[in-house]
Amino acid sequence: MKATEFIVNALRKQGVTQVFGYPGGAIMPLYDALYDGGVSHLLARHEQGAVMAALGYARAGERVGVCIATSGPGATNIVTGLAEAMADSIPLVAFTGQVPSALIGVDTFQEVDILGMTLSCTKHSFLVEDQNDLDRIIAEAFTIATTGRPGPVLIDIPKDIQLAEMAVETVSELPVLPALDGLVEAQVTAARALLHAAKKPILYVGGGVGMADAVPELRELAAALEIPIVSTLKGIGSPDPEHPYYLGMLGMHGLKAANLAVQESDLLIAVGARFDDRVTGKLDEFAPHAKIIHLDIDACEHNKLRVANVAISTDLKLILPALKMTLDIAPWRLHTLEMKVETAFRYDHPGIAIYAPLLLKQLSASLPEDHFVACDVGQHQMWTAQHMTFTQPENLLSSAGFGTMGFGLPAAVGAALARPDAMPVVVTGDGSIMMNIQELATINRAKLPVKIVLIDNQRLGMVRQWQTLFFDGRLSQTILDDNPDFVALAAACGIPGEAIVVKEQVQPAIDRMLASSGAYFLHVQISEQENVWPLVPPGVNNGEMLEQ
Amino acid sequence: MMNEKQVHEMVIEANNTPEVLERILRVIRHRGFRISTINSVQMNDCNNIKITVTVSSERPIDLLYKQLDKLFDVSKLSYQQSTAI
Repeated sequence: MKATEFIVNALRKQGVTQVFGYPGGAIMPLYDALYDGGVSHLLARHEQGAVMAALGYARAGERVGVCIATSGPGATNIVTGLAEAMADSIPLVAFTGQVPSALIGVDTFQEVDILGMTLSCTKHSFLVEDQNDLDRIIAEAFTIATTGRPGPVLIDIPKDIQLAEMAVETVSELPVLPALDGLVEAQVTAARALLHAAKKPILYVGGGVGMADAVPELRELAAALEIPIVSTLKGIGSPDPEHPYYLGMLGMHGLKAANLAVQESDLLIAVGARFDDRVTGKLDEFAPHAKIIHLDIDACEHNKLRVANVAISTDLKLILPALKMTLDIAPWRLHTLEMKVETAFRYDHPGIAIYAPLLLKQLSASLPEDHFVACDVGQHQMWTAQHMTFTQPENLLSSAGFGTMGFGLPAAVGAALARPDAMPVVVTGDGSIMMNIQELATINRAKLPVKIVLIDNQRLGMVRQWQTLFFDGRLSQTILDDNPDFVALAAACGIPGEAIVVKEQVQPAIDRMLASSGAYFLHVQISEQENVWPLVPPGVNNGEMLEQ
Repeated sequence: MMNEKQVHEMVIEANNTPEVLERILRVIRHRGFRISTINSVQMNDCNNIKITVTVSSERPIDLLYKQLDKLFDVSKLSYQQSTAI
């Protein structure tokens, strides 16, 4: 048995049914084994599209993404995806072809030291030196990718190793993983004491909740405590949006009530969140009166940016139920509720031009219960986080920590394969979509019914907004009034669509899009003047938001 | 988070893979520590190496300790607090 056949068998043993990739010279033996290996392969039109699709597949389907690329440029094209997986803690196993072992280090055609290049954006990596190590390496790769804080693992395989014969042809049984550490009673007692004593406690929920599969435990805790909750971008969907004291996203473009409540709080319970700079604003003025309980599987996050009074690194499914109690915080509840009502977004936007927040609110209300929305990066991403409602974290796929423009379209491709019964939606911008526009062809090839909503302001809108506010209006390289005809571009890739420009066209167009059986492209023209509000400017605390 | 600069000696035992030194050095650099001395020796079984490294930073050593401890190849890790410089 050749090593590549063994690799495909090992993938099947790991439960992998779908991989994403792009063939090339140094990975041809593995593609030969995939030809009839019993694992589905989705061909992207660029290796970055393949790795982003694998990430969308992993995040939407809560499993490991697998992507495959050739050596050299194929490998370098997945680097952004590895960094994305590192920043957002997405389980990914990436296979790259490498030039033959004897030709490594002599500047061979399509040779790059991808292991060296990706040390900073992988959780771990392997260069396979002996085909008989593959059994161990693949098992370790999947274990590393999925355990603790998930992340990307790279397996670089020289072509001669791929072609070599295996001494042992049977894939080993999957390792039995040791259980996570249990609760430490003293830590639980300390956390409960802080919670019991708090007058203004708040739950600050991050992406770790969804990854720990702890959404039910979080919601039960929140209901028992009747406590105000704020969410990070990746935490959206974990708290029940119907929870009366759910205040929405916090941070740079957070909701006003969320930011103000955190600034006033006397106890912040960070649940699978990491005090990211887009969340905290000016760090030393973030939640200045709050003690901290920090719950995170990755102990590296404890005391990294904010010293915790109690730091616990264990399974959230264990610790969250242990914090249930009755809190005596009626005045705080009332206060946050009043702030939530008083600062709620308004949608009575004047004029006939389409108002993106209102459109997204309408889109959200029109979607079937089983759906996901993949976003790109920029103004539309923040509007989506602010104005759409998500009931599960895997329903919003947004490049959060790494902020990768071009994520949305390929992520939706992968997510659509992971969740074939869900309505797949992309919300993107005219800057971002061009970063991986070639994946329109993949959507057509795979006949995926992806509904693409392009919010077009003919600008790199978020940068334009900052130039307007903080760079004296000098619009350096952000004007895109020569964009292509996007509807025609989609049509060229076999995707029907339409363009809308005024408010009254919005709901009928959404209805037509959602009623269409296949992919659909909705081009939405908005004013280039629109900004995302609120905005916490750089260098100030989250209480000092700029508003419309 | 920042304090006065401290010097620490760390002892790291790790799998003897070709790239393990690069992995460890990269984490030390990226997390904000400077190396003043380093010594790496292969252990008797050839499968492991022992690295003794002196690092300095204004950042707490615990941040580096936890990052190195998280590396898959690192099997044993200890450090001694040294004096401020």
